Amino acid sequence: MDSPVNHSDYEELAAGFALGALEPDEEQAFQGHLEGCPACKASVREFEEVTASLALATVRVQPPASLRAAVRSRTGLTLRRRAARTIRSWRGTRTTVRAVAVAGVLAVLALSLWNLALRDQHQIDQARVAALQEAVRVVNDGTANRVALTGSAADSGARATVLASSLQDRGVLVVEGLPPPPPGRVYELWAVPAGGASNPAKAIAFRFSDRQGVHAVRFSVNIQPTTGFAITEEPGPGGSRSPTTEPVLAGNPQQSRPGGA
Amino acid sequence: MLGPKAYRGQQDSQLVALVAEGDAAALEALYDRYGKAAYSLALRVLAVGTLAEEVVREVFLSLWRDARRFDPSRGTVGTYLLSMTHHSSVDVVRLQENPRRRQGPEEALALAIEPPADVEEEFEPSGRRGRVRAALAELPEAQREALMLAYFGGYTQREIASLVGIPLETVRTRMAAGMRRLKDELREAGRQEQFPWTRR
Repeated sequence: MDSPVNHSDYEELAAGFALGALEPDEEQAFQGHLEGCPACKASVREFEEVTASLALATVRVQPPASLRAAVRSRTGLTLRRRAARTIRSWRGTRTTVRAVAVAGVLAVLALSLWNLALRDQHQIDQARVAALQEAVRVVNDGTANRVALTGSAADSGARATVLASSLQDRGVLVVEGLPPPPPGRVYELWAVPAGGASNPAKAIAFRFSDRQGVHAVRFSVNIQPTTGFAITEEPGPGGSRSPTTEPVLAGNPQQSRPGGA
Repeated sequence: MLGPKAYRGQQDSQLVALVAEGDAAALEALYDRYGKAAYSLALRVLAVGTLAEEVVREVFLSLWRDARRFDPSRGTVGTYLLSMTHHSSVDVVRLQENPRRRQGPEEALALAIEPPADVEEEFEPSGRRGRVRAALAELPEAQREALMLAYFGGYTQREIASLVGIPLETVRTRMAAGMRRLKDELREAGRQEQFPWTRR
């Protein structure tokens, strides 16, 4: 769309923004404007209270007990293993797998969309759109995995999810809150074969200058349905052929896989 | 450890602070307050229970992970949970591989807010659901149509313009007017009571 030239143009977008009815480029432009405009921020806050009312007006449906259990188990309230039963039961259509994987990507970005004050919103929106578009392409085969990465960096606020297609041997890493590596060093994403933690394959080396942004990194590497992923810090500019440090983030598909076996 | 029932007297903002300190029972207390509404909304938009579960679970867990960074000047945590649920649900709907899976405009407009005839809706003492429905019913039809297509159908303004056969600018105007009118009517009707446990 053409950039709004009057502030009244932005005012009119606020309602559409709260309803989620703007096109991606309009939403980016509006969010970029929002950070510096208390008036529009107040409008959005009021309109979001209205949409919350719309939400509250829907017919109430009792969620299944598995939803509460899923929230509880992820927060570690129970010592039982996470109920993979629910995840395994989601066998099925490509569309279901794709949407499930996409929901996972969105979850990585949720608070980034909410907290205006923290970071470059335009970059976040671009990353979000790119990640979603890549997610759609990568997950086109129904066998793709969503792998959540955890580890020491997560304790400091980093979040990372890999969407990996074993059919296409390609994927996307969505990462947020990872501090820049020291000068002269980069991060490197590795594809870790099941049972072959000693023989990871280089997926891609990357570095970003800002900690606060959300980034979508596309990569191509040999991927199996059982392939895990890890991120290490390596010498720059191109990284290493094998990891030289312990992973700061890592994960396996068994922990978070949406598709059927 | 205290169970979620011990948190009943706490304000939402206090619960968020507890979640930020790693209090999982506080998150569960927020789930007690908003989980059903979030799930109902996600289900209304997505029409598939497993997808709705996934979206709602991830929204609550996003708060669990990042409560320390929650920005209250942006809005309340209740608004966050419902807005993010809506946002995620609409994004998922728009990326469905098969466009026919997405509900058509008739479904989006169909009394999303009235229970089917064979379902007895639970009694709601505060009556706020009734107030919102009444406020929606009082909107001019064109405004209500734009809001419902967008909010429940996940249609963008451009898609609505194309669907209804009107200029984009008209859609924008109707949406803005409808939202302003709803805002005023709900304020009149005691909007502050939406979240009775939240004392401002």
